[in-house]
Amino acid sequence: MLRLPHFASRVVGAAVPLPRRAAAGALVAAAVVLGAAACGAGATAQDTAVGNGSSFVTGSYGTTVFSLGSRPEAPAVAGTTLTGSKFRLSADRGSVVVMNFWGSWCTPCREEAPALGALARYFAGTDVRFIGVDIRDDPPSAEAFMRTFRIGYPSLNDPNDLIALDFSGTVPPAGIPTTLVIDRSGHVAARIVGQASYSGLKALIKQAKAERG
Amino acid sequence: MTWLRTPPEAKPDAHAAEAADQDAAARDGLGAAPEGHRDAAGPATTPGPTGLSLGVAGWLRWFWRQLTSMRTALILLFLLAAGSIPGSLLPQVGTNPVSVSQYYSSHPVLARILGGLGLFNVFGAPWFAAIYILLFTSLVGCVLPRTLRLVGSARQPPPRAPGNLSRLPFAVSYATPLAPDAALNSAAKALSAKRFRMRTGPGWVAAEKGYLREVGNLLFHIALLGLLVSIGLGGLFGYKADRLLVNGTSFANTVTALDEFHPGRLVGPDNLQPFTVALDHFSASYVTSGALLGQPAAFNAQIRYSASPTDRMHSYDLTVNHPLIVDGARVFLIGHGYAPEFRITDGTGRVVFDGAVPFIPVETSGLVSEGAIKVPDANPQGLGFVGVFLPSAIDVGGRLESYFPAPDNPMVSLVSYAGNLGMNSGPSQSVYSLDTAGLHELAVSPKPLAVGQSIKLPNGLGRLTYTGYQQWVSLQITYDPGQTPALWSGIAVLAGLLLSFMVRRRRVFVRASTDEAGNTIVDLGGLTRSDAAGGFEEEFAGLAAEISGLHEAQIDASRSTDTDTGEAAQPGPEPHVPPGPQASVPPDPERPVPPDPEQSVPSGPEQSAGE
Amino acid sequence: MPVNTGLADISNDFLLTAVVIYALAMLAYACDFAYGKKKLPALRAATASAVAEVEPAHDVAALVGAKPAAAGAAPPAAGAPPAAGGSGTASGGIGASGVSAGQGAGGVIKGVPRRESVGRWVTIAVVLTSLGLAAHVSGVVLRGLSVHRLPWGDMYEFVTALTCVAVAFFLAVMIRYRAYYLGLFVMAAVVLVLGLAETVIYTPAGPLVPALQSYWLAIHVTAMTLATGVFFVAAVIGIAYLFVDRHARRVAAGRPTGSDGILRRLPGPEVLDRLAYRTVVFGFPIWTFGVMAGAIWADRAWGSYWSWDPTETWAFITWVVYACFLHARATAGWRGRRAAYIQLAGFACLLFNVLVISLVVPGLHSYAGLT
Repeated sequence: MLRLPHFASRVVGAAVPLPRRAAAGALVAAAVVLGAAACGAGATAQDTAVGNGSSFVTGSYGTTVFSLGSRPEAPAVAGTTLTGSKFRLSADRGSVVVMNFWGSWCTPCREEAPALGALARYFAGTDVRFIGVDIRDDPPSAEAFMRTFRIGYPSLNDPNDLIALDFSGTVPPAGIPTTLVIDRSGHVAARIVGQASYSGLKALIKQAKAERG
Repeated sequence: MTWLRTPPEAKPDAHAAEAADQDAAARDGLGAAPEGHRDAAGPATTPGPTGLSLGVAGWLRWFWRQLTSMRTALILLFLLAAGSIPGSLLPQVGTNPVSVSQYYSSHPVLARILGGLGLFNVFGAPWFAAIYILLFTSLVGCVLPRTLRLVGSARQPPPRAPGNLSRLPFAVSYATPLAPDAALNSAAKALSAKRFRMRTGPGWVAAEKGYLREVGNLLFHIALLGLLVSIGLGGLFGYKADRLLVNGTSFANTVTALDEFHPGRLVGPDNLQPFTVALDHFSASYVTSGALLGQPAAFNAQIRYSASPTDRMHSYDLTVNHPLIVDGARVFLIGHGYAPEFRITDGTGRVVFDGAVPFIPVETSGLVSEGAIKVPDANPQGLGFVGVFLPSAIDVGGRLESYFPAPDNPMVSLVSYAGNLGMNSGPSQSVYSLDTAGLHELAVSPKPLAVGQSIKLPNGLGRLTYTGYQQWVSLQITYDPGQTPALWSGIAVLAGLLLSFMVRRRRVFVRASTDEAGNTIVDLGGLTRSDAAGGFEEEFAGLAAEISGLHEAQIDASRSTDTDTGEAAQPGPEPHVPPGPQASVPPDPERPVPPDPEQSVPSGPEQSAGE
Repeated sequence: MPVNTGLADISNDFLLTAVVIYALAMLAYACDFAYGKKKLPALRAATASAVAEVEPAHDVAALVGAKPAAAGAAPPAAGAPPAAGGSGTASGGIGASGVSAGQGAGGVIKGVPRRESVGRWVTIAVVLTSLGLAAHVSGVVLRGLSVHRLPWGDMYEFVTALTCVAVAFFLAVMIRYRAYYLGLFVMAAVVLVLGLAETVIYTPAGPLVPALQSYWLAIHVTAMTLATGVFFVAAVIGIAYLFVDRHARRVAAGRPTGSDGILRRLPGPEVLDRLAYRTVVFGFPIWTFGVMAGAIWADRAWGSYWSWDPTETWAFITWVVYACFLHARATAGWRGRRAAYIQLAGFACLLFNVLVISLVVPGLHSYAGLT
């Protein structure tokens, strides 16, 4: 056990005998400090997105805007809409495309659906194209959803996640709902993960619309 | 040859101090406490230059010495074990978040206290990390100096032989006709043939062996560090995900397709391997007779997979203990269940739902499963159904039960609701349970349905038809780049452990000298670490037998060459004679001791009658 | 393949027979304490007229000092200081019977004790133990044959196998280190545990759940069974050590010791301490390997090599506590009694893991086979 010499108190930082318990306490304090640092560094995988039985992943929320010149190119998406017509993303080169990943079972998707429908009606007749990608839904449920929220734009049914897979190398949809704004040259200008707001999405679309070529 | 106990000579006491020093040197590094491990019990650092206070450097040094002491290691190990106990008895958020929330609802006050202490996430808690980080810091602080010390001492030769070998814990002494140098040479050869490290001096040989023990010890502890690093690698760059896949469907490894996704700290959605898995056919077999009726016997999932969108599909048989390895990620078959299929029409006559709904098994003997069907967009009112699926349904006194896990008689029984499912806003809901807050139960009896039967909902709200069932599998997808390093670290841990337990550090000394009567006395002494697991007794006895045997052989060999020189054949001396009363014949004083070391003259007490 | 219930029944019969024979062996060990030889056979050299031999290496491997198990506390001959259960020398010479090397014993190497012969009761007991072990092994093997797999797939099979390992290991230790005094205690524990296995935790023979159908069962569970058997023996030695140590301290303090007939016939605490240490040293690498093999198997079956499953966690806790024990024996002030407590705490963790966690706490390891 360590005993330090005992001096008069006028000496600054006077040494006092260090009982064993204080030694243990110092160790514990150091341990806690180190542990907090360790928690920040993260030696174990932490749950940033937990499904907890709700059968979907909410992803990392937020809006990411890609500045001109550093925009990833959107892949060649192709498929059949719920009404049976063919869709190819490349056919819309020259227009702004708003691609929304959704599911009728997903609460945040239902919460943002009125905003999306309203925006689609707002930009109707302009060169802004809305397209939905329906995840893990059966076609009757999807059509019922579109009727409820008066979604006028078509959606692609993607039961095998092929469209999401196409995006996996570039700007993957990081959860449901995810909304991508693709500019006229076929590059992804912005991505919203989570529920989109009317005003926020509108601003992004207008910005992309303003760009020429 | 005789075995004598008398010490080689009565050394004057002036040599006693030197002998003591040599003894200490002989035991150096083999003493009671393990090398380099102070117990931090004694007074530690000196105070600062003025003696008034330690100063920062002094405190740091004191703290470091406390940290790297054996007793601290003991305490930290104990804390590590004790800290793991709540992690095994309380539900943990990482593995079982549902149980955690159940705990909160059933023990609200206690749960808040325990949660505040971090006891629902022990293995990710800061205090647990602090314990193992301190432990490994202490470990590094011990291992590095010991490694340096090992390298240093491995370069040095063994210590000199102590003066009085009989004071060592293992000692034996005998006389031999051989000259001292010859005896020492053969002893040295025998020892170095056993790969002892040798050092010779005038009249003595010192041998040392067993450095591999410390190598093993260090390897063990360093490999533990490697294990920790590997676990950290996995925690940073690895991920774990779950997906429930219905028979006949497929999915791709993207975040939107996964039911659960637990990424490491540095993993994002674009880091997932882009493979696709399609479930073509799932079969499960169960024990059909005997005391273990209903226990699962085998699971088999026939799947097709592709490593990327451009890759073609390959077939694979996925079973338990036999995962799919694709592009570095692994897909495991974890469980299975049933997904009954429904077609629901609403009040307007339109089909608003048509598909399979996975139900979750709630018991294992008959795989009774529970689930919910949600149709929020039905007109005029949203519809919700909650119920059970029974693979082999049977009525037992008014209660529906399933007598077997296979679908011999698959039936569903549902309770019907209508109203607002509450899915348009608020927190996300689980797809397996229904929030009935905004719903009212419909007055339709929940009679069990067989395949093809339907429920007609009252008030023209619609109709539900039970159209069939599918099976589903639950898959776990894992990617852990630290997995292979962890395996190699584990192997190194085991190798180091075995080395350090099986090898012991030991020293053997041989002295050969001539006593007053002119006989050569050979002393053998040995010592080993005090806390060694033992077994040195046999080795020392074996060495003694071997060296004495060698000396005998030398005598025999030289005697057979001596017969050419015409010396009278003398019987070899009796190998071991107790110097008891009947054996104490003093050497013939008239027989001079030949100066030539090559000639071996028996000077033992056993003289033949013909002498 | 269907389960061969006939073989399973014969297996049960063999195991019950083993329990009975072990109980008889236990009686024989007890009789040895009560009626065994009181005196050492005289050391040969003191009366031999001819040559005393140097023991060849393999003859001198006795850990027990001059106090043999079969005798009372008689000092060894030739005037050597009584062993008093420990070494008088500085660093670990075992027993002091060799100190008299050359003075009258002849042919004796200092530090290497001689072997003594055993009494009649010990011979009977060892024969009975071996017979019981043969029946035990037959029972385990037949169970395996009846279910067409390795016979440690559920709790009952695990317990029968680990007790078999414990008896086999104990038999080897006992003969090699002449530790016959352990017989009574180890047999008592085995009889108790095996009896419980046959009655309370018996599970009928059956196939394994799919999750257990892997060759890793042979590797992981075998290693854990072996290690548990070895730690079982170490725990028995540890308990004996605590009693003997308490007795020795009482004797040294001059206090009344009560009825200590058995205790006086046991060797000193240092000998038991060394034996317990060597046993743990033997079992610890096996336990480490078993945990690692379990991790590899978990990785193949459940996707991750460590998921803090309760059984995994308690196996880890057990490992750490035994590591504590190994460190404690190298730390001044923590040897002896404290170390023995730590070792017993380690075995308690092991028992808790086997008996409580796998039965009560749900997790990935719930394969006990009990409902």
